Amino acid sequence: MIDHRQKIIGEDTALFEHIWKTGKGFYITVSILGALVLLGLYAYITQYRTGLTVTGLSRQIFWGVYITNFVFFIGISHAGTFISAVLRILKAEWRRPISRASELTTVFILMFGVGSVLIDLGRPDRMLYAIRYAHFRSPLLWDVCSIATYLTVSSISLYLALIPDIAMLRDLGGKREWFYRILSLGWRGTEGQHRRLEKAIGFVSVLVIPVMITVHTVVSFVFAMTIQPLWHSAIFGPYFVVGAIFSGVASVIVVMAVLRKGYHLENYIKPVHFNNIGIFLMAMTLLWFYFTLAEYITIVYGNEPVHMAIFWSKISGKFAPLFWLHFVLCFVIPLPILAIRKYRTIRGIVIASISIILGMWLERFVIIVPTLTKQRLPVEGAYYIPTWVEWSILAGCISLFMLLYVLFTKVFPIVPVWEVREGRKKAVTMVSERIKSYLPEQETLDK
Amino acid sequence: MQFDRRGFLKITGLTLLGLSAKPGWEVFSKIDQPEPSPTAETLAKIRWAMVVDLKKCWSAKEGCRDCIDACHRIHNVPNMGTLKDEIKWIWTEPYEKVFPEHELEYSEEDYRHRSVMLLCNQCDDPPCIKYCPTRATWRREDGIVMMDFHRCIGCRYCMAGCPYGSRSFNWRDPRFFIKNINLEYPTRVRGVVEKCNFCVERLAQNKIPACVEACKEKALVFGDLKDPKSEIRETLKFKTIYQRQPELGTKPKVYYIL
Amino acid sequence: MENLSQAETEKIMYDGKKIILGLIIFLGLITYPIWHNTVSGKTSYVPKPESPTDKDKKECVEPKAFIRVNHKTLLEDWKFSVVRNGMRTYQASNKKTYTISLNRTCMNCHRDKVKFCDQCHNYMGVTNKCWDCHIYPKQLVKE
Repeated sequence: MIDHRQKIIGEDTALFEHIWKTGKGFYITVSILGALVLLGLYAYITQYRTGLTVTGLSRQIFWGVYITNFVFFIGISHAGTFISAVLRILKAEWRRPISRASELTTVFILMFGVGSVLIDLGRPDRMLYAIRYAHFRSPLLWDVCSIATYLTVSSISLYLALIPDIAMLRDLGGKREWFYRILSLGWRGTEGQHRRLEKAIGFVSVLVIPVMITVHTVVSFVFAMTIQPLWHSAIFGPYFVVGAIFSGVASVIVVMAVLRKGYHLENYIKPVHFNNIGIFLMAMTLLWFYFTLAEYITIVYGNEPVHMAIFWSKISGKFAPLFWLHFVLCFVIPLPILAIRKYRTIRGIVIASISIILGMWLERFVIIVPTLTKQRLPVEGAYYIPTWVEWSILAGCISLFMLLYVLFTKVFPIVPVWEVREGRKKAVTMVSERIKSYLPEQETLDK
Repeated sequence: MQFDRRGFLKITGLTLLGLSAKPGWEVFSKIDQPEPSPTAETLAKIRWAMVVDLKKCWSAKEGCRDCIDACHRIHNVPNMGTLKDEIKWIWTEPYEKVFPEHELEYSEEDYRHRSVMLLCNQCDDPPCIKYCPTRATWRREDGIVMMDFHRCIGCRYCMAGCPYGSRSFNWRDPRFFIKNINLEYPTRVRGVVEKCNFCVERLAQNKIPACVEACKEKALVFGDLKDPKSEIRETLKFKTIYQRQPELGTKPKVYYIL
Repeated sequence: MENLSQAETEKIMYDGKKIILGLIIFLGLITYPIWHNTVSGKTSYVPKPESPTDKDKKECVEPKAFIRVNHKTLLEDWKFSVVRNGMRTYQASNKKTYTISLNRTCMNCHRDKVKFCDQCHNYMGVTNKCWDCHIYPKQLVKE
């Protein structure tokens, strides 16, 4: 019995250990996260009982932290698709250990993106009216459709890639064997099954990319389709997609670093992974900067009074501290760290990523709120200071996401074992054959 | 198709697809085309509009709020007490904010800081109704932009769509904050958006809107633009008509004359 | 205990008496909602909504049997008709035309929601949100 278990685990004990070994760190983490989740729940119950007046929102500034959270969380969800699907299509072998961690980020954080909108509703008891009385001219409905599709497709993608690992856990036996047996759908690891699985995963990977682009474009359309100054901009679609991939990849980097440290996966998630993702993140930093520059420079040159009022409030007015802080966090801090090889260590990349995550939350805030302070008829004395309810719910959402993530790692391996093993066995030959096919044919030497 | 599990799943999938074809078609063919109201034709013959004669309005005593008080009283509009939670169907703003395009630096000094009465413009091409995910707000054929408080889910997207800031949201239960409840009209519940509705319930009883009735200076004129003999058409003849931000293409139906 | 064969051992329910006693108590407690009302005599309670006493308020919009079953659908249709279609008159089955209005038609006769609507609604455990916005005529007298 021990032999057969050892045969399955092989040399990859680290990949399975986090399922069975529960250390002190786990309990402390779960307690802290659980406490924050309870705080968030208490804040929401307060809001449900009294109404949205417990937030800092007002007649003038009626969208704030919750809608920022919505855009931010949906943004982060783009990481998984990107790293898993795009790298898979590009046949990048280094995606193998990190694909599941990123897909999981996507699936779980999407639920909180949707949750943030539902938390923001004035009448959450009527939330299903959006489906029952759906009005398809509304960008919010487009959101409902595209996010539902994205959640479905991402979940399928996550599950498909999980099946061989679930089968491995089933074969290891133990108390949870029945659970893994049901979920493994009879996977035996045969040649035919592998072929079908590869085809299915390939299909879903290709499908999820246009869905991913649609999702954040449609989220941006919520703002871009209005005629409010500084929202009504054609660049919002691609701008938000780029911002989403930017913040998403940064989040996945942080997740990877935490998992690597916490679960001792140093052998599998190596500095080269961080280096590669770090270079990609640098490209995204520059791309994000390009879009931001394009947006603001066109506003300045247009010089329309209504737009300039808000522009100045961002550059030198009420929102200047937040605006410049977000710029520093999104561009000034990450770029040198990611561009200069000496600083592009794992620690450096993680610091850059944390800076980017904070900066991108602020970026969403700075896009949404200043337009509302001015609109086209500025009201004297309108201000927006989020209350404890809003901050607690934000903390609760993030904590619940992390809690669900940690609980997932207690049930399934976070590094896809079968993909790593496939890489070990076949990748070197596959890749060298592929590279040989790029090179010019060997001419026969006899002339 | 062999009958193993994959075959079964394939057949089930196709069946579900086939079964959902008809209901799916019914849902999608009705996109944005609700059943035409039985009164649509009669309503379409009318186009309600309002004219605000600013000179007459300014001839009233300082701080006159007759129109606002009348409207808020009969519609049970609460007084929340704070700027944050305020709900208003009619309100005033200084002239230079309402008409920023009127150059005031070297001219029209008399108009600066004068109060202009503002309300929902009941636009002919309202930007707000496009965004409602449940169609709780829509434009009726006679021009009134309607609110269905039963259906509103409180997402506040219509507030984001209105360029004039005409809509208010119930951040909490308003019942407590209404001084004298008018039994003839319901209150609203918390979590819904509200705005001026051109007194649609009074129009149904052939009465004019409360604000028009309450104005002692007779500065407000209300009527049917499609009736060439109506008072409002008379009032608009040979006058320079101002509207709030007409370049946005909303075709507002509240006209200001000076 | 004598030595029993395996088959016989499997037929004995150990602690049988305690288990069966416990089961009976559990079933009794869990079916409390079913037998409580019968035992305490509350099943004889019939909700008595107060009908209007005025002579000219004897006939409702529709016959009592119809209204009793369908008033929820009727009110929802009325809500749709007034708010979304702008149609404010209702052709009743008794050929009369009524103004569609919760306050001015229904509550004009049944003036007190507590003495009329709530009597049956509370008995049946029905909640509705109508009164979050709509005000019935007797409401403010109490407040």
